[in-house]
Amino acid sequence: MSPSAFDKPRFLRVFSFLVYLFLFVPILVVILFSFNTIKSLNVFHGWSLQWYQEFLDDPSLRESLFASLEIAFATMVVSTVIGTALAIGLVRSRAGWAPGANILMLVPLVVPEIVTGISALLIFSQIGIALSIWTVIIAHITFSISYVTIVVRARMAAISQEVEEAAMDLGATRWQSVRLVLVPALWPSVVAAALLVFAFSFDDFVLSFFTTGEDLQPLPVRIWSAIRFGLSPTINAIGTLMMVVSLTAIAIAVVLPRLFGRRESGLKVLTAGEG
Amino acid sequence: MTAGRFWDRFLLPGGVWLLLLFAVPCVLVLALSFGYVDDLGRAVYATDLDNYSAAFDPTYTPVLFRSVLYALTTTALCLLIGYPVAYYIARYGGRYRNVLIALLVLPFFVNYLVRTYAWVALLADEGLVNNALIDIGVINDPIRMINTPWAVIGGLTYGYLIFMILPVYGSLERLDRSVIEAGKDLYGTPLQTFLHVTLPQTKQGILAGAVLVFLPSVGDFVAAQLLGGPDTYMVGNLIQDQFFAANNWPFGAALTVVMMIFLSVWMVAYLRSAARDVRGAAI
Amino acid sequence: MAGAGLAVASYGLAGCTVERSVDRSAEGRIIKPEIDGDLLIYNWAQYMDPDIKKRFSEKYGVEVNEVNFDNLEAMVIKLRSGASYDLIWPSTEYVYRLNREGLLARFDRGLLRNNDNISSFYDSPWWDPNNELGVPYTYYTTGIAWREDEVSGMTGSWNDLLNPDGAGRMFILDDFQEAIGEANLINGFDLNTEDPAELETAKQTLLAQKENARGFSTNSVQNLVSGSAVLHQAWNGDIVNVRNQVDEPELYRYETCKEGVPVGTDLMSIPITARSPGTAMLFIDWILEPENAAQNVAWNGYPQPCEGGKQEFAKLVKDEPSIDVDLESLAGGGMEYRLDNPDARQLWTSIFTEVKAG
Repeated sequence: MSPSAFDKPRFLRVFSFLVYLFLFVPILVVILFSFNTIKSLNVFHGWSLQWYQEFLDDPSLRESLFASLEIAFATMVVSTVIGTALAIGLVRSRAGWAPGANILMLVPLVVPEIVTGISALLIFSQIGIALSIWTVIIAHITFSISYVTIVVRARMAAISQEVEEAAMDLGATRWQSVRLVLVPALWPSVVAAALLVFAFSFDDFVLSFFTTGEDLQPLPVRIWSAIRFGLSPTINAIGTLMMVVSLTAIAIAVVLPRLFGRRESGLKVLTAGEG
Repeated sequence: MTAGRFWDRFLLPGGVWLLLLFAVPCVLVLALSFGYVDDLGRAVYATDLDNYSAAFDPTYTPVLFRSVLYALTTTALCLLIGYPVAYYIARYGGRYRNVLIALLVLPFFVNYLVRTYAWVALLADEGLVNNALIDIGVINDPIRMINTPWAVIGGLTYGYLIFMILPVYGSLERLDRSVIEAGKDLYGTPLQTFLHVTLPQTKQGILAGAVLVFLPSVGDFVAAQLLGGPDTYMVGNLIQDQFFAANNWPFGAALTVVMMIFLSVWMVAYLRSAARDVRGAAI
Repeated sequence: MAGAGLAVASYGLAGCTVERSVDRSAEGRIIKPEIDGDLLIYNWAQYMDPDIKKRFSEKYGVEVNEVNFDNLEAMVIKLRSGASYDLIWPSTEYVYRLNREGLLARFDRGLLRNNDNISSFYDSPWWDPNNELGVPYTYYTTGIAWREDEVSGMTGSWNDLLNPDGAGRMFILDDFQEAIGEANLINGFDLNTEDPAELETAKQTLLAQKENARGFSTNSVQNLVSGSAVLHQAWNGDIVNVRNQVDEPELYRYETCKEGVPVGTDLMSIPITARSPGTAMLFIDWILEPENAAQNVAWNGYPQPCEGGKQEFAKLVKDEPSIDVDLESLAGGGMEYRLDNPDARQLWTSIFTEVKAG
């Protein structure tokens, strides 16, 4: 495609529509098969709700789903705060050890997840911490901090210090200038990073597998385990329900601010209401 | 308190966290790579170099190059597909911007594995797409779409596209529209404006996206396992197999160390560029 | 500095195993089949009818929680890290290995009400001479599945994997023992040969088969049902599941091969760390009830070597008797995978890795 097309919204609109289609076509298939009458994800025989019934009847599946949501939410909150601070520090700090922190931040990105998982298991067993939902959360946070930092720093790098200095000239303290000037300027990338981390954590199986305790199995670990015999449409039913919940959350996020007559970003409401 | 010291504090929580919970455990992995497997199949720490001589066996070289090739192709595809989408959302999304971004994240709530399975149902020899094409008479025999290298690259692109779109969107979104208008006056054509104004301004976003797509793609094993064929074995699969199927953790650890050293070339390139841009922005 | 840290770490850790030590204080306790707490079972996914758990739970007033593994090595990792499952599903080889590591509890099978229902084939096997480590849950053969409408000229030999009708639509099981085992049998070697020269020949056989293959996969159900495979090295129970899913089950055939039929058994065992071993034993008895065995076999498609299970499976596969397993005939001609020697095991896995990587 030629870049001149970038100023022709019609082309861009069609192109973007196709990309969204690409992302959502498999989702439609997932939804379709969640209503299958037989236990197949390849052949559709007819409509039924039996797989939703099976999900509702299965307490361990429900437990897995809620565990995954809790893990994702905790991971999102902690890693977004730490990662954003790290991004700010990396751009602004002139400390001698800042380059060291930079490398430390980047290395988790090159290490495959399986190694992060195994190294987490190694450290937990060396210092004798029993595996539980907390070890999963710690491993997820460790892996997520760098992602947040990378995304936020991409925006941070191009923000000049002048506005903050102007705020301080007007009497703001350093902390106030960070809170009132820098954080709002960074906000879109912070939200993007938080969403990314939530989604990653909810979807992750490798880290969870190694760090999960004996009786708690986050949803993706359960799904991965089912590969050998093929997945059951129950998993599709869960996916469909999650889609409905998320879509509802988005719809509410769009509608709510209008009801209150505010022009606040709908996404803020969404991210605050997730989990 | 000086300005410098003030900013140093921001480094502390992340720095300490990563040091204790990432760097120290990584040393354990390194130590394990010199270990061996005992008679009961348990991994034991030691100081052998055997795993490294095995890791440099010529059998594994093509696996590493194949992984890098797939990951580079994936990164290029993600950029070609993701940039226009990010651009559209940032410039023309209006008040639906955030909704459009949220929609991108939505598929994650249906597990990656389940979505990849859905691709198999779509693209298999007697899947929905082939059956539809045969029904309307476009083809007579099914097209082999899955279990090919392109299926793996497609799966990776599908899985990691959002990691390109989000950072690019982040850098486009903060781009000052008046700069583009000024660029138009200066360079005339939209193409020139794009090349000389928009693209350089979003370089950090592109770079961040490229790193976020490329590196996990190299280590991915799900796409090759579910969509791959006989000749799509990737380094992620190799490492995964050592840890699970082969139960040879020390060798898996050694392979990991070799892969990380290999990937660090890209990391250094990225680091340099990031450092340059930070300096540029500060001026 | 990193190097120094590494050196210190290496020397400091040298000789240590990766896993924490397991609490074996329960060793030697007598386990009786009676309720002593809620049950936590650790099983393959989709391997047991949830209704059987539910009815047990209702009858005895205990919770039955299930978590899953996708891989026996993964199960071992968790057990070694001290996890307390009440019931696990290892294969014969793994019962042998876990017992050598002291990770399994012993129990008196004679205390089970349904002890006599267990097939006598499983009296004093090599992995459990005293019948105290586990009770068989399923048994299965490895053979070749094919589509009658796409592939002709099947001969009942492992060489059928090279059948030209299946070119590009043939899968080999992504399992180092099944893949190399089949190649060993073709070459007339012992199924579990440890001879490097023989294994090199087997590797060449596999590389030749790979030319004809579409991939390595254990998901024969999806590969066959979606039409990507018309020829598949497969476990018999999976073909029952394929036939349950398709419109024309009679097209999906299964053969065992004349060079040798690998047979496997999955067992139910109680780990040494179990918190409710009594409930676990009661649950084993529950699974062995003939009507429960029959229900479970109908649900998961794999035969269970006990009264009720055997008969139900024979009924399931009456249209394709080759899927059934005649236990008595296995006593002589059947074969099992067994690699006790860790060096041999490593040689096998590295050969399979080389085949997949090459």
